[in-house]
Amino acid sequence: MLHEPETDADVSEQQLANEPYVEPLLELKEVSRVYGSGDAKVYALRDVSLRIMPGDFVSIVGPSGSGKSTMLGLLGCLDIPTSGTIIVGGKTVTGLDDADRTEVRGRTIGFVFQQFHLIPHLDATGNVETALLYRGLSKAERRRRAIESLDKVGLGHRHEHRPVQMSGGEQQRVALARALVTEPKILLADEPTGALDSQNAENVMELLTNLQSSERAVVLVTHAAEVADAAFRKVSMRDGRIVSDMTRVR
Amino acid sequence: MKTFKDLLMVSLTGLFARKVRTLLLLLGPMIGVAAIIAAVGLTDSAKGDLKAKVNKLGTNLIEVSASSAFGGQDPTLPEDVLDRARSVVTVKSVAKVHELANIVVTPYNEARDKYEAVPIPVLASDVLLPSVLEVKLISGRWLNEFDEQATSRSAVIGIGLARQFNYLPGETRTIELGNIRYGVVGVLSEVELEPAFDNAVFITFSAAKADFVDADKILANKIYVRSQVGAEKDTSEALKIAINLGGPDEVATDIKSEALQLAAQSDQQIKLIVVSMGILASIVGGVGIANVMSISVIQRSAEIGIRRALGHTRSIIASQFLLESLFIGLLGGICGVLLGIVSIFLGATIAGWVFVLAPWLPPAGILLAMVISVIAGLYPSVRAAKLEPLETLRLG
Ligand SMILES: Nc1ncnc2c1ncn2[C@@H]1O[C@H](COP(=O)(O)OP(=O)(O)OP(=O)(O)O)[C@@H](O)[C@H]1O
Ligand SMILES: [Mg+2]
Repeated sequence: MLHEPETDADVSEQQLANEPYVEPLLELKEVSRVYGSGDAKVYALRDVSLRIMPGDFVSIVGPSGSGKSTMLGLLGCLDIPTSGTIIVGGKTVTGLDDADRTEVRGRTIGFVFQQFHLIPHLDATGNVETALLYRGLSKAERRRRAIESLDKVGLGHRHEHRPVQMSGGEQQRVALARALVTEPKILLADEPTGALDSQNAENVMELLTNLQSSERAVVLVTHAAEVADAAFRKVSMRDGRIVSDMTRVR
Repeated sequence: MKTFKDLLMVSLTGLFARKVRTLLLLLGPMIGVAAIIAAVGLTDSAKGDLKAKVNKLGTNLIEVSASSAFGGQDPTLPEDVLDRARSVVTVKSVAKVHELANIVVTPYNEARDKYEAVPIPVLASDVLLPSVLEVKLISGRWLNEFDEQATSRSAVIGIGLARQFNYLPGETRTIELGNIRYGVVGVLSEVELEPAFDNAVFITFSAAKADFVDADKILANKIYVRSQVGAEKDTSEALKIAINLGGPDEVATDIKSEALQLAAQSDQQIKLIVVSMGILASIVGGVGIANVMSISVIQRSAEIGIRRALGHTRSIIASQFLLESLFIGLLGGICGVLLGIVSIFLGATIAGWVFVLAPWLPPAGILLAMVISVIAGLYPSVRAAKLEPLETLRLG
């Protein structure tokens, strides 16, 4: 079922000529991330190159400590590589200052984390609205979009609930609504189902699967085989390197 | 502008979400500011009645009198004393008087024996005296130019004398000045800066010369001057030189409200001590704010991380926390000012003082609380901004 990428490249030249060119949404070029220095040096990532294309639904798998989260942080402009180049939407972000990188992040990337990371003193709507702050939107407009986004993840009845009043699955769906409300080109999820029971995990995975569209890319890190298998493309990592990058045949 | 509005909303929501913590933080600056306001207010209120009096009477009345250097009789000021006084640039207005000696004053001739024992001063005075003293007349009018030119026997009496002689307001009466009958044309109201005037009789220079002085000229022996406010000391020195120049007699000056002003001064030492304690309390409150905010930054590191991940810049995060401490200062300051004012009011009421609150005090108190809170919030805010989102979120 799964092919090595080289096989993908074997499509006939005729067919390629008809396809329009698409720019990768995200690109890592020989990126390394080293923690510490001297003897305590840890290569969390070694010379990794990766392209995320529009419409991609990628799962990143690998043993603990293999550098999955490190790579996701770099993809999401939350971190700076020790060496190599990162390009987001055609723009090289390595070398940008923090404020500019933050701007790129806010505009193009949505995040979902294993621990949900909702702001405890805000209700569901408030949490989703947080993603829309400082964008010149009126309070009413922010609210309208937040509620719309909450409705999309099936939380129409939980607008005014605070995180402590919601189940894990509901909280993760609020987090998902928050990630989506800015309509990001790229959605990055680190173990989004890691803290959920199987029923809730399935629910969240279904939402994630439905999110994937021809313009958007979804990248998720996971340990669970069934979660990884939901993706079209599977990137396997070991010791800070990508050991395989396979795409499912359609 | 929209960004600022968003920031305001986020900071206020953050403060409201932790009401108890916010209230505890308010206490520091609040107590400090309240102590300062109460200290200044109460020490001021203790002298409030005197202060009010100084304000009413003005601080700028100067008396210039002739005093003979060698014990000579009847020292006088130079003839052109008014012009000399007016040559001092800080002089606003001036009036001259001459105190006449040994005139027996009685309400009517038959009462001579009864009143002889009590000396009542009789002053030759110019038409400007009430305006320089800034006192009004209870009834009637002051001496005018016509009286002066016509050498009319018109007199104005002080309020004390009017009571003593049982004058009714508006009544047509006469007064005997050394057997010469004068018509009373007016009663002067209380002259608080020159209490002797309350029992004095005022007549024109021309009448005084005609009826009581043998010499061919009558010279003033005293003038009253209003100077520019704040220039009293300099004016009084300048007047001495300007008037004394070339004359035989010495000149003495007296700033009339100086003693009163001194008495009205608040106890500076007590004020200083309590204000220092208030400032100290505010600073301790500030340290408390710095402490709690620092802990709060650690507690809220995940919140900060997620905000950064959602695209909030470092400066936005710093501003958010700085605004929170600014509001704590503002609220604490306002509460402190209110508490301080209540303290002054209660204290002054219990002690029977006049409530005095310097108008600069409330804004200064609020400003102090805000400045201290912002300084206290500076370090935690910078720390919050410096947090690395990846570390606070611990992906996966
Ligand atoms: N802040 C850090 N300082 C030092 N070393 C770090 C740091 N963050 C990660 N590492 C190291 O980098 C390597 C990769 O870590 P990473 O978190 O990317 O692994 P992972 O694949 O996400 O693991 P897991 O499945 O357990 O989440 C690990 O060896 C880890 O110890
Ligand atoms: Mg991880």
